[in-house]
Amino acid sequence: MDDTARRSETSTQAAVQVQDVSMVFDGTPAVDAASFDLAHGRFLTILGPSGSGKTTLLRMIAGFQTPTAGEIFIKGTPVSTTPPHKRSIGMVFQKLALFPHMTAAENVAYPLKMRRFAPADIPGRVKRYLELVQLGPYADRRIHQLSGGQQQRVAIARALVFEPDLLLLDEPLAALDRKLREEMQLEFRRIQQELGVTTINVTHDQREALVVSDEVIVMDDGRIQQMASPTTTYGEPANRFVANFIGVTNFLPGEVIGAESGRARVRVAGHELEGRVAEPLAAGTQVDCALRAEHARILGEAEAVSFSADAVITESIFEGDRTVYSVVAQALGGAQIRVFDTLHAGAGNKGIGDAVRIGWDSRHLMVFPR
Amino acid sequence: MFRAAPFRIAVWSVVVFNIIFLGLPTVVIVLASFTAGDLLTFPPEGFSLRWYERLLGMRDFREALGRSLQVALFCTLFAMPSGTLAALAMVRYRIRFARTLQLYFLLPFTVPLVVSGIGMMYVFGDMRVLGSLWPVGLATCAINLPFMIWSVSSAVNRLDPDLENAAANCGATPLQAFFTVTIPALMPGIITGALLMFILALNEFIVSIFLVDASIVTLPVWMYTSIRNIITPDLAAVSVVYILFAIVSIFALDRWVGLDIFLKSK
Repeated sequence: MDDTARRSETSTQAAVQVQDVSMVFDGTPAVDAASFDLAHGRFLTILGPSGSGKTTLLRMIAGFQTPTAGEIFIKGTPVSTTPPHKRSIGMVFQKLALFPHMTAAENVAYPLKMRRFAPADIPGRVKRYLELVQLGPYADRRIHQLSGGQQQRVAIARALVFEPDLLLLDEPLAALDRKLREEMQLEFRRIQQELGVTTINVTHDQREALVVSDEVIVMDDGRIQQMASPTTTYGEPANRFVANFIGVTNFLPGEVIGAESGRARVRVAGHELEGRVAEPLAAGTQVDCALRAEHARILGEAEAVSFSADAVITESIFEGDRTVYSVVAQALGGAQIRVFDTLHAGAGNKGIGDAVRIGWDSRHLMVFPR
Repeated sequence: MFRAAPFRIAVWSVVVFNIIFLGLPTVVIVLASFTAGDLLTFPPEGFSLRWYERLLGMRDFREALGRSLQVALFCTLFAMPSGTLAALAMVRYRIRFARTLQLYFLLPFTVPLVVSGIGMMYVFGDMRVLGSLWPVGLATCAINLPFMIWSVSSAVNRLDPDLENAAANCGATPLQAFFTVTIPALMPGIITGALLMFILALNEFIVSIFLVDASIVTLPVWMYTSIRNIITPDLAAVSVVYILFAIVSIFALDRWVGLDIFLKSK
């Protein structure tokens, strides 16, 4: 990828550094010793289920909450005691929080006035940023006269117009319908790349995280589970949670019987399977073998793969671009396995009760301690 | 819809009954005020503006109206900041005894106004301020403040809780955020509450009667004393003046705020 090229352009100092930041509410940690560095101009998405601490982490970076431990640096300066209005951070809020008594242009001009930009420069700058988000003709509309997508764009322009060091996105797309959401995701990405502004986005939408980001942090239970590029996050999940949270994943319970560099042999219901491991596992460890639904296949007559087993279809769901089968393999201890079939979607669907042979390539199997 | 027609008829009967019941006294009084006769009668005898002429000629009336307007203005100006801050505090901040406070603010409604009136007469009497108009304004403000608080609270509830954070994020200090974002965003609720307070203070009678003396009679008290002598059509004319104030404020409310905020359920 062009990752290395982009990295070499930026200075060695991180735009944002989060060091052992914790937030404890009433004795329970909402964020537990989170640490990461984010380089200039990168687009980071913090992905996690609700209650994972992702929003709390974002609000600490914005300055609305003070960490109970740890420190946050923006461009090398510690900010955890700096009030939000003295930080150079633009933010798009979950419910947008546009000022209802102002027009689109007044909303965008507001941060410039508050941050004492030269009054003569303000109208030109407002115009430029409204054009950046393709809202030029709507400058004098009131907020309630704009559509949901247009309001999103006003919020983006307001967050970016004063050229902040950092842009924060607090799930602003969650309320939009799917089509508009996907359009706005690409719009965020386009603007972010055009301006090169360092961005931290929070979402529970795995697809959004993979589509828009340079880097993805997966959070659960207040802890950072993994920070990696979208391809690594999907292809090499660091643990069972990440493997389960992103993508459609089957888990086969088993026990480690042997390991060599980066791989482990696992006994699953009497069969010996082999898969990748993220960390060395001792023999006897109870594990789950993870297999993505798109890596499991319904095999043809004479097809040979590194593992195959007989199974019976128990469910068949046609989703347009693919058919999702649930099969039960008695040979694997009655485990239920979901299989994507993108080749024969629609035509040639198999029915419930049909006996099939499923299989996979062992390089796709991942082994995680339970 | 199951049995739609009988249901609709029932609903409409109630609506029509309410409209007649609410509107009829007003219509009667307005028509009666134009009578040419010497007594308050309905239907009126002939048409004339003589009672309005008489009313405008009366110094007592003009002075009483002026005093009532002063009282209402004082009450409104006092209620706007105190009611707004109280509403913000109760909705926004997790203050201790918030529920108790809410009940406490309702107290003037639960205590009979006669009791409030006597109490305030003692308080203001001890302070030796009876005989001025501002205690009357303060008293009307105290007893009607829940209206102001409710009106602003509903506006606070509609507000995005991140609005002030957004202002801070834009570089506004807490004070700037309060004046440039919070207050303007609450304006519909504040204006609504202020107009309610103004009209209620203009009409306030029971508490006022304990706090005014002959030299500072307010309009409702003046009307009451007039009735005790003889009911003449000029009282109907005064009522029309009140109705005019009410219509003007409803019109103003619609212009500035939009009555649809009352019709929209959250």
